[in-house]
Order: sequence, then C-alpha cells, then structure tokens
Amino acid sequence: MSAHDHVDGQLPHEPEKATLEARNKILGFWIFLGAETVLFGTLFSAFLALRHNIGDGPTANELFQLPLVFAATMILLTSSLTSVFAVQALHHHNKRAMIGWLVVTIVLGLGFLGLEIYEFIHYVHEGHGFTTSAFSSSFYTLVGFHGAHVAFGVVWIAIVIGQIFKKGLTVVTAPKVYISAIYWHFIDVVWVFIFTVVYLMGKVAG
Amino acid sequence: MAAHGHTVKRYSGLMDWLTTVDHKKIGILYLIAGLFFFLIGGLEAIVMRIQLMKPMNDVVSADTFNELLTMHGTTMIFLAAMPMLFALMNAVIPLQIGARDVAFPFLNSLGFWTFFFGGLLLNLSWFAGAVPDAGWTSYVPLAGPTYNSGHGVDYYVIGLQIAGIGTLLGGINFMATIINMRAPGLSFMRLPMFTWTIFITSALIVFAFPVLTVGLVALMFDRLFHANFFEVGNGGSSVLWEHIFWVFGHPEVYILILPAFGIISEVVSTFSRKRLFGYSSMVFATVLIAFLGFMVWAHHMFTTGLGPVANGLFSIATMLIAVPTGVKIFNWLFTLWGGSIRFTTANLFGIGFIPTFVMGGVTGVMLASAPADFQYHDSYFVVAHFHYVIVGGLIFGIFSGLHYWWPKMFGRMLNETLGKITFWTFFIGFHMTFFIQHFLGLLGMPRRVYTYLGGQGYDDMNFISTIGAFLMGVGTIAFLLNVFIAWAKPRNAAGDAWEDGRTLEWSIPSPPPEYNFQQTPLVRGYDAWWKEKMDGKTAMTPAEPIGSIHMPSPSILPLIMSIGLFIAGFGFMYDRLIVGGIGLAITLGCMVIRSLYDDHGFHIEPEDQEKGVHA
Amino acid sequence: MSSNHDHAASGEATKRHKVEGPQKHIVGFVMSLALTIIAFAAVSAGEINATFTYIILVSMAVIQVFIQMAFWMHMKDRGHLFPIIGILAGVFVVFTMVVMALYWVWW
Repeated sequence: MSAHDHVDGQLPHEPEKATLEARNKILGFWIFLGAETVLFGTLFSAFLALRHNIGDGPTANELFQLPLVFAATMILLTSSLTSVFAVQALHHHNKRAMIGWLVVTIVLGLGFLGLEIYEFIHYVHEGHGFTTSAFSSSFYTLVGFHGAHVAFGVVWIAIVIGQIFKKGLTVVTAPKVYISAIYWHFIDVVWVFIFTVVYLMGKVAG
Repeated sequence: MAAHGHTVKRYSGLMDWLTTVDHKKIGILYLIAGLFFFLIGGLEAIVMRIQLMKPMNDVVSADTFNELLTMHGTTMIFLAAMPMLFALMNAVIPLQIGARDVAFPFLNSLGFWTFFFGGLLLNLSWFAGAVPDAGWTSYVPLAGPTYNSGHGVDYYVIGLQIAGIGTLLGGINFMATIINMRAPGLSFMRLPMFTWTIFITSALIVFAFPVLTVGLVALMFDRLFHANFFEVGNGGSSVLWEHIFWVFGHPEVYILILPAFGIISEVVSTFSRKRLFGYSSMVFATVLIAFLGFMVWAHHMFTTGLGPVANGLFSIATMLIAVPTGVKIFNWLFTLWGGSIRFTTANLFGIGFIPTFVMGGVTGVMLASAPADFQYHDSYFVVAHFHYVIVGGLIFGIFSGLHYWWPKMFGRMLNETLGKITFWTFFIGFHMTFFIQHFLGLLGMPRRVYTYLGGQGYDDMNFISTIGAFLMGVGTIAFLLNVFIAWAKPRNAAGDAWEDGRTLEWSIPSPPPEYNFQQTPLVRGYDAWWKEKMDGKTAMTPAEPIGSIHMPSPSILPLIMSIGLFIAGFGFMYDRLIVGGIGLAITLGCMVIRSLYDDHGFHIEPEDQEKGVHA
Repeated sequence: MSSNHDHAASGEATKRHKVEGPQKHIVGFVMSLALTIIAFAAVSAGEINATFTYIILVSMAVIQVFIQMAFWMHMKDRGHLFPIIGILAGVFVVFTMVVMALYWVWW
C-alpha cells in the first residue's frame, strides 16, 4: 500500500461513486460499452467476411509490418496502464499525480495516432487505398473506427484535465476521470483483438 | 409553472417544450411526433391500397409505388411505432418505479430530438424529389450506388442513422433508469410487467441497434465514398448486408412487440381486477423471447441459399419462440378467466389483441418451416403475417396503452363511446384488410408489385382489402377526434383514473406534478398500489420525509446538437464536406459545452410543492 | 472472475485502509505484455502450422482481455453485476455474428 497524504477528509475513498448521478453515469457508460462491443463486433464480422477479397491490391501478408504494429501495441498498452494509475491517484485524492498520469496517457495516445496515420499513408502508397477492394474498405473502416475512438478519447481526456485544473477534484469531476479511464481501457481491449485478428492473423494467412 | 426564486432560468410556452428534460413532457413530444409520422405512413398505405384496388390501376406510377412502399415501411417501424412506444415508456416507466425522473434527463431530450430530426430528414426526401425506393430492408445491390445512383437511399441511410442515435440513447437511458432508480422495496421480481418488458426491450435496443449503425455506415461508405462492402465486382458481399440487416432486424421486431406484451399485461390485469396470472413465467418468457430473438435472424433468408443445415437450425429456433409466446397468451387468458371484466376501450384493444396476435403467431410458425417458406416467400402471405403481428400486435397494444394511460399523461379521460367506435372500425377494418391477404398470397400474388393483371382471382380480394384499409383510416380519424374533444375538456381525471389501478403511477395525481412523487414511496409487494388499497390505505407509505426536491435544469443543447447532425447529414449527402464538418462541429461543440458547464439543477422547496406544479 | 477478491469483505465505511496499491496493476501489465509478446512471437517464428497459430493467437487475446477487464476496468470489484451482464450480452451477439461472417459469408 502506498502512502496517501493527500486525503483531504472531504472526499470519500471512491469519489467517482459518491452521488446517485455519478453511479447512474458509470452504469450507463457500461451499458454503452456493451453497445460498443456489438458495434466493433459487427465491424470485425464484416472484416472477417471480406478479408480475402483483395482485388488488385496487395495481400495482408505483403502489407503489414509487424514491428510497427508491435510498437503501436506497446504504446497503447502502456497508456492503458498509465490511465489506471491515474484512477489510482484519484482514489488517493492525489490531484497532481492524477493529472500527470492523464497527461502521459494523452501523449501516448497521440503517439499511437501518429503511428496509425503514418501506417495508413504508407499503405495508400503501396496501392492499398480505401476504394481498392472489399478487404481495404473493411480494413480502413474497422481500424479507422478504432483510431477515431482513440482521437475522441484524447480530446475527451484533455477536456477532463482542463476541468480538474479549473474545478479541482470533486464528486462532480471524479466520475469524469473514472469514466474516461474505463473508455480508454475499452479502446485498448478492442486493439487487442485488432492486432490479433487483423494484423497477426493477416500475417499467418500469408 | 410556479414561480421560483432559483437561479436556473425556467422557460414557458414554446421554449419550455424545446428545452424540457421532464420525462412526461418528452413523452408527449414523442407521442405528437409519432402520431404525425403514423398519419404520414398511413396515408402512404392508403394511396398504395387505392392503387391496388383494381387491376392495372394507374393512380400512381411504378416508381412512385416503390417509394410509397419503402417510405411506408420505414416510417411506420422507425418513426411511428418506436416513438409511440417511447412515448409510453417515458410517460409511464419513471412513475411505475417510483422515480422522480429517468437516469439521464438530458440524454432523454437528446434522444427525442435526434429521432425527430432523423425522421424529418428522411421525410424531406419527398420534397427533394429523391425518395428511398429500395424497400425498408434496403437490400443491396438494389440499394447500392450502381443500381440506385440518385440520392434516395442516401436519405434512408443518413435519416435512420441519426434517428438510430436517439433510439440507442433511449435504450441506455431506460436500462440505467430501471436498474438504478427503483423506489425502496421495488425489487426486480416486483416490477410491473410493463417495466419488465421495457427493460428487456431497452436491452434489445442496446445490443441490436449498433449492428444497424454499422450496416448503415457501410452502405453509406459504399454510396458516398465508393467503398466496396457490398460491391460484388470489387469483392464485396451482398449477402453480408442481408445478415447485418436481419441480425439487427429480427431483434427489432421483438423491440416492437415486447412493450405491447407489457401493455396488454397491465391492461388485462387492471380491467379484470385480478393479479396478472403467472407473473414469474411472464418475466421468464420475456427474457427467453429476447434471447432467442437474437438467434433466428436467418429465417428471413431461407431462400438466400444458406444450405439445409442452417435453414433447419434456424427453422427450429424460430419455432421455439412460439413456446414462450404461448405461455404469455395463456397467462393473459387465465388472467381474464374468472375476473370481473370491464370492457373499456383499452381493454377491448387488449382483448382484441390476443386472438389477432395468435393468428400472426400461427402464420409465423408456418413461415418458420423452411421448405414451406419457399412457397410463401415474397408473396402477400408474408405481408399478411407481419401486419398481423405489427398492427394486430403492436398497434393494438399502443392504442390500448394510449387509452389506458391517457388520463395519467394529460389529466383528461378520453370519451368511451368514441373510443369504442375507434376500436370496432379499426379492428374490423384491420381484419378486412389483412385476413384476405393470406389468401392472395397463397394464390400467388407477389408482394411489392405496383399492379396486377385482372382475371387471376385477385380482383375482389384486393378490392375488399382496400375497403378495410379505409375503415382503419376511419378508426384513426375517430381516435384523433377523440383526442381533440378531450383536449377541450377540463383536466379533471382522478389520480386513480380507472379506480382499479394496481401500479404506482395511479397513486399520484393525473397528470403528475413535475417531480412525480412528493415523497418517494415505499413498495411492499407486487402491484404496490393495489396492495396498499387492499390494506385500506389511501396513499402510499412514504420512504422519506417531505423535503426539498432536486430537479435537472432545462437545456436547449439537445435541440442544437440534433440540428447539427441534421445539417451534417445534408452536407455529407450532397458532397458538401464543409457543411458536414460544420454540422458535426456544432454537435461536438455542444458536447464540450455540456461537459464544461456543470448542471447543478434547482430545488423545489416544500412550500412550492404544495402549489401542485403540474407538467 | 478472480480469486484475490479483496474488496468483497469490506463494508462501505471501513475500506479506507484498503486503498489499492500499484502492484496488481503492474502485474496485469506484465501479464498483458507477456501474452502480447507470445502472440507476436508465434507469428514471427512462422514455423508453426496455421491452425495452431490461430488457436494460440485467439487464446492469448481472450486471456489478455479478461485480465485487463478484471484488473484495469475494475470488473472484479463488487457492484459490477450489470456491467458484466452487459458486456457478456454484447459478446454473445458478437459471437453469433462472427460465426455468421466466417461460416456463411466468407467460407
């Protein structure tokens, strides 16, 4: 157990669950994640159904480069760890550490997005455009949807950081940190399936 | 509106309705919008029936008929039936669970406005001269860019996408509400049956609508950005669309019918003055139907060529659904059995529902038999089947619910004589229109055709069917008349308007004050209000002392966010990406504003509560 | 979901002393890291037959997701019944769809 000197006595241990409104938000967000699971699942199904229909474009094996994907995976996995550290700091009521971890999370998220944009540009130069084939359309839609979620998460967490600076750590702002962290983990979980199903299996299928 | 000394601005008149986050007012908005689209869809149906009244008729052209057909189906399912269900959900659920509002009042308002602007966008296609004409299922390649190059299907794709956001938000909201906001003592197995069915329906919405979202995105990418999801020439798969559509589409029909089951359960039990027979089996049947509902989608695709194994499995799974449905039918019959039945309009619709829905269910089992389906497929038999379950099931249920809860929603009783005229014209008209279509189908008349040659034995039956459709129109007009007459009357409905109310909503005034319950009630058993009445009480036992009540603030942001999406939709449709970007920026900007400025709400103090602030 | 359910016994008021430490998150991270490396290594090695590789890949992904959801998304904590039901229902729908996509559309 780490020391927690910053307990201000006002906030409960789990400030994100202190009010009914906050508990509603967390529950509602989990239900939303259930819906998101289906959303990504449908995108995965479409990709799985269409992945071998490459038309005139390159195959998955020719296209994907594992070192790049591995780097992206490591970045996102680490960012998931830093965001759970932020929640831990929240439970310790340590505002500075929390903001620090959230900033690291954002930076890693931006790094991931940078890699993904680089990767997409590279693929387009290889003749793997959005309109090339059913494989390319479903690939860009699935991975792009995930990327859009990452981008949304980066903006969201940035806004939450701003609010923590302005309003401090309260029972109103705490749920925002907690929910954005849950969202961020979910994005990482989806990525686990993307690197497995899209990239690694694409490599195996040759 | 009572005057308040609070800092939150309170609106009146039109602005009150545009900014409201009160579930009762949002329910009324859903009802108005739903009825409006119901009339449009009904009008489209009447025009189609006029066209089919005699052989080789030329009231409308073949193209117009396709458009009418598509818009009738899409409008009725997404813009009429679902909003009217949402109207009843909003009006009743928080009251039935003893809550002051839903879990997310702001999202509730956002859900309404996105639905409304999505529906508006879809229907504006009539004025743009580019109407969706690929059927409500929008099968590719017919709906793809190659064979449908105009903007028609774009309206379908984007309109439904925007309306679908609203529906999804509603589903999440009601799930969270029912899980978290129940009054003390109201355990899950004490929930009124309507609340149970709405809970399960909300779950179906949450897990089925994202599938439609992805399907529509894929079709939109194909149409607007030349993607290849369904373009067979570039490796796409048109069967994939059918799967995606029906993985959503089949749960969708249970999204529609389960609330009707709930309404009928409440109405039949109230007007038999009996506890609902077999409550736990009803709950179990509802859950089972929802579960099986996700595993039968391919029965819409028997003739696609999935092979005998798949057809056989889906055949059996589909027939299985008849079991829990049968449980429900018998439970209603046993509830009626030995009860002192009152034949109010609501109960007439409820009792009319039972045999009608059974007929729809029986043809459903017939269609579930894959080999036989090859014969019925694409004939009027299918049209007759799904109108028996959707009109004879859902719309009867909605009419029943509207007559039943009207005094609770508006504080005014509907006229019973006019109500009975509504029922008998609509009921007879319905069976006249659709019963005969079974035989048209068996004789071989294909569905979705704009005309037919004379002398094939179709002529008289089509004529009778059209007369029936007119009769349904008369029934609808009688209902509207009833509404307008009631509107002019004073608000004098009693709290327990039917005197036999069983659930919590009847323990408070009609219409309820904006905070619903001055004191959160303590629930001591199933049929909470009936139990108190039987114990000689005249009010629920409160679970808290009288105190200041916290209310959410009204907000204009949901309306602006929906307008943003509406603008974005047009922008993307007509290749004006800047306009699309501006629209999305408006919506996202509103989200940021909502996040930055905390909604502290306001309080209604006990002295103001006495004034009886009405919705 | 997990055996070290240390929050289960603690009441609402007495859990101040049970504030979480970073160890279990780091354990989760290391496990995720290991599973990821196994998956990438299985593919990079390229000498195992394809079916077996698929099985390794999918199992690694599923285990990793379980770990992350339990540890980082707090699903092993109390009060997460409805989140678990929600996600499982979503997974069930996804499963039917993936079967559909593989069996009827692709195959």
